[in-house]
Amino acid sequence: MKFQEKQVEAGGFNVRYWEAGQGRPVVMLDRAGWRETALHDALAEKYQVFALELSGTGDSPANTTSESMTDLAAMATIISAALTSERYTLIGSSFGANVALWQAVQSPEQVEALILISPTSIHPQDVLTATTASDAHLAMFAHVENSGKYPIISPETFAEETELLRRLKFGVHDSEAEARLGDIHCPTLAVFGQADRLVSSQAPRVYREKIPNCNIALVYDAGHCIIGDRPEALLNTVMDYAEHWETFIVGHQSGLINP
Amino acid sequence: MKASMFAAMGYSKRTTFPATWPVSPVHADPMTSVQSYREGMDECELAEEVGFDWVSFSEHHYSGRIPTGTPAVMASAVAERCKRIKIALLGHLLPLNNPVRVAEELALLDNLTDGRLVAGFLRGTPNEDQVYTMNPAEGRGRLHEGMDLILKALTEPEPFSWEGRYYQFRTVAVWPRLVQQPLPQVVVGTRSDDTIRYAAEHRLGLGVSFLPVEQTAAITDKYHAWCEEAGWTPGPDDIVYRASIYVAETDELANKWFEGLMKSRPGPNIPLRRTVSEAIESARTGNAFDLRGVVAGSPEGDVVGNSLGINFIGGPDTVASQIKEFHDRCGVGVMDLLIQQNQVDHKAVMKEIELFGKEVIPQIREF
Repeated sequence: MKFQEKQVEAGGFNVRYWEAGQGRPVVMLDRAGWRETALHDALAEKYQVFALELSGTGDSPANTTSESMTDLAAMATIISAALTSERYTLIGSSFGANVALWQAVQSPEQVEALILISPTSIHPQDVLTATTASDAHLAMFAHVENSGKYPIISPETFAEETELLRRLKFGVHDSEAEARLGDIHCPTLAVFGQADRLVSSQAPRVYREKIPNCNIALVYDAGHCIIGDRPEALLNTVMDYAEHWETFIVGHQSGLINP
Repeated sequence: MKASMFAAMGYSKRTTFPATWPVSPVHADPMTSVQSYREGMDECELAEEVGFDWVSFSEHHYSGRIPTGTPAVMASAVAERCKRIKIALLGHLLPLNNPVRVAEELALLDNLTDGRLVAGFLRGTPNEDQVYTMNPAEGRGRLHEGMDLILKALTEPEPFSWEGRYYQFRTVAVWPRLVQQPLPQVVVGTRSDDTIRYAAEHRLGLGVSFLPVEQTAAITDKYHAWCEEAGWTPGPDDIVYRASIYVAETDELANKWFEGLMKSRPGPNIPLRRTVSEAIESARTGNAFDLRGVVAGSPEGDVVGNSLGINFIGGPDTVASQIKEFHDRCGVGVMDLLIQQNQVDHKAVMKEIELFGKEVIPQIREF
């Protein structure tokens, strides 16, 4: 599925995004460099996918105005509403998941279902300790041989992103977000790599405890970049959840042998 | 050092079996097996009475030699009769089992025993790969993922789904929670480097079975080094050695028994048809398997397997010194002993347990 690069202006923001597919809308907020993945392609086979470039990440101009995750979430809410008038499934990865979490809190009327992949809002660890783009990149993977699947961002982009992330307190436990988890009433899936070094193993249970309709998925032998370490497992989980929400726990695979 | 008795629960007429695996169930007389399990439980009770610290159980299938295919069931029966001794499941053959079910069994046993459980994880012997038709090539992967999943299932307080390579569970929420928090002692039984390293990195105990002292030391040396790399030092209970033993009042009596054993030429312990054995080994190692080649080139015969050697044999002082060697050279802190030899009947096993408790345990306590 070929994604088309497009531009949207809304609420004083000019944001780049990529679009593909037909069907119910899905809005994706990703880390820079994680945009062209098998997950995007699989989703675009079934849904109309809008993958937004968060201001200040990737190749976008430096973001010098956003002071908090909630600012960025407000921007994402406005852009999403400009792209689709329907309720949408919101999927965020890593930093994008932290923004998506706030977006779901701020605009429950827009977000139909929420999928958080490797969120770091709760009990992050060692998120911003890497001093080079290469070190930060390697820290994302459980298996170093998988790190070559996705590009390392340039030193300049890394420096700009790091500055933005520090300003937005990425890598610091977001106690305000934790306090608002109970306000997320849409079906929610939080997916974690079982070998994620950037999030405490205690974090997943907090989402499960505090979000009323939340499932937790642990992907075995995957680090923070689950799509890099275990793409099939991530696809299987996210596609099932996007389709079935909390009923994804109901088994559909046949165990019948030699009927 | 602690003493553990490996409760084999062998069928009492086990010397009458043919040298094949699996052993046809036709050889199992229900009245005899009922009596055999009762005798085995009596042996466990006596072991507790004379001072053993643990009684252990293992998953083995399709034979009367160690007929505990569901070790948790056996362990829970013994746990009702033995009130002090640790109940050690050493252990489940993880590649064959549903890891969530194993976690549930362990959690229940820890509750039933009021926190006396010791858990053990094993890959299993090659013949047992076939019990539930598992692909031998996947055994190690299933073992490692199974261990991760069980440890998570036993410690995670909220429901979760597991997206593994070999296991997928969309809802895991194990009840009851363990009595021993965060975990009971866990022993990983292995000779393989990657699994030894797993035990070291996860701060788990190590189990080694039946190897001579120098081969055991080669394994425990690696374990100690990798534990140090992982930033911890194993305690005395963290290294368990399972051994076969025959103890008599004197060395002379023990040697006389052993001479009789040699004359009786016991059959192979885990005999398989050569074709099946080589097919399993090829699958485990990823090598090509040529059935016709095996059939054409097997002058040694159709059945392969090794006699189970006796690791410790002698009078009380002799076996105590043999055991001490494993303590001193390998750091073994728990000696798990298979007393119920094939050719030793229940009455003689009881006598050995009593003798070991009276004459050997006081000595090994000092190690």
